[in-house]
Amino acid sequence: MIARSVELVLGPWRASWRAGVGWGIAFVLLVVSTVAFWPAFQGSSGISQAIDQLPAGMLQAFGLQGFGSPAGYLRGGLYELIVPFMFTAAGVMFANGAIAAEEEAGRLELFLAQPVSRSAFMAGRTVAIGAWLVVLTAIVLASQLASDAAFGLRIDQSRVVATIVLCALLGALDAGLCIAIAGARARPSLVLSVGLGMAFASYLVAVLFPLNNVLGPWRHVSPWDWALGGDPLVNGAEPWRYVALAGLAVALTILGVAAFGRRDIRSA
Amino acid sequence: MSTDTPALRITGLVKDYGDVHAVRGIDLEVRRGEVYGFLGPNGAGKTTTIRCLLDLLRPTAGRIEVLGLDPRRDGVELRRRVAYVPGELRLPERMTGAQLVASIGRLRGGFDRRRRDELAARLGLDLGRRTRDLSSGNRRKVAVLLAFLAGAELLVLDEPTNGLDPLIQHEFLRLVREVRAAGVTVFLSSHVLSEVQRAADRVAVLRAGKVVAQGTVDELRGQARQRVDVWFEGDAPGAELAAVPGIEDPLIEGHRFAAVVSGPIQPLLALLARHPVVSALIEEPDLEDAFLDLYGEAS
Repeated sequence: MIARSVELVLGPWRASWRAGVGWGIAFVLLVVSTVAFWPAFQGSSGISQAIDQLPAGMLQAFGLQGFGSPAGYLRGGLYELIVPFMFTAAGVMFANGAIAAEEEAGRLELFLAQPVSRSAFMAGRTVAIGAWLVVLTAIVLASQLASDAAFGLRIDQSRVVATIVLCALLGALDAGLCIAIAGARARPSLVLSVGLGMAFASYLVAVLFPLNNVLGPWRHVSPWDWALGGDPLVNGAEPWRYVALAGLAVALTILGVAAFGRRDIRSA
Repeated sequence: MSTDTPALRITGLVKDYGDVHAVRGIDLEVRRGEVYGFLGPNGAGKTTTIRCLLDLLRPTAGRIEVLGLDPRRDGVELRRRVAYVPGELRLPERMTGAQLVASIGRLRGGFDRRRRDELAARLGLDLGRRTRDLSSGNRRKVAVLLAFLAGAELLVLDEPTNGLDPLIQHEFLRLVREVRAAGVTVFLSSHVLSEVQRAADRVAVLRAGKVVAQGTVDELRGQARQRVDVWFEGDAPGAELAAVPGIEDPLIEGHRFAAVVSGPIQPLLALLARHPVVSALIEEPDLEDAFLDLYGEAS
């Protein structure tokens, strides 16, 4: 029983090994190379002043406010767009690769013909996806904190941790959405387009709606705003932000598991 | 679970995909310990029926019992006692055969390593190679090995010899006979008639989602037309021969009589016994003939 449960997680975990290592390397390179420029940027007040002279709306849209400060530099360089988008893309890819793409290729059939329930099978894949997101979170966290120390970027570590965890939860939420879609339909193209489309739309709503008085209040419908709307690198994050992202991710995952148990499995 | 219950009982099975009627009301029963052939051309509904047995597909209507269990309600217990070779086989590409066997083994509560090695040797399978590097025949050997390794009460084999060379097909049939002797039931879907003819106790023939015939191989063969060629000492008794029931396409040339006989051959034999016959050739009816006849009738 234990061996079976472990295999339901380890099987898809091993199958995603290359993708996981690839994402990990990409995150480390991105974080280290960005922070490595901090000493040069810090000593050049001209660049900071030039950025501060950009229109207020542009500064807000691209997260460039206070770019001369450590928090502003990390926000504008990493945590306004690139890192959260990479987490959402990783979540979408892992979920699609573990469920919809495998089913479309006909590779789930042999496993679902074994003595496992559909819900246990999906739960195993979900845990494997979540485990990869946890590993990537740890990699980003470790590389960020190590780079900060190595390149003299002084920032409150608890706020860095909060920001990275919120980015990872944003990825988990998009993974949950993809699990819900893959649970209902074995169509990788649908999973990818809705997953990545939602991430992009969520970002646009969070950064562009505040620039318009009418649309401004509606930015709160965006999970991107839940995660990063409070500027966690500067202000930290309220507990409801973690609960909302994680709660919706879990709810969507449960929907996907339930839908998977109610439909036909596609063959090759 | 009582062993009096049939290994498989299907009643009024219907499976639609939107407007496409893949299975249109199948009834059949497979007894414990028999090899049951499930024959039909591509698109007849064999794979759809089989995937319903494993709860991979949900029937539109009808009832299925596998080893007395309901596939939907008792799916986990059912699949513990059933092993399956999919017709459309796709294996994880980055695993070696040994890794895949180990993975499936963990899901099934463990495999006997010696039995694994014995089966691999008999099937001529190198388990050390990645499945993506294997030919389609060798990939199918992996699936066949997994099915025979599972120690299941019922083997559901969908086109299991597709892509296997004749020697391995022969070995496969030996394996089927061995597990049958050990009391295992085998549900063998195939369009290879000779394979079913050699292995099956009973068969069902499927066409366009319906069972068009079922019975023992001999019964099915009895429905086949037989070609006869007879030489009489004198002239062939044409009028009498033409009146024999089931005679088709008679050819009467002097001493010789040739025809195709459908149905029982006894009336013709009774007539021949009353006349001096020099030689008589009656070809053994082949399951393929029965099969083709059934398809002709059904279409």
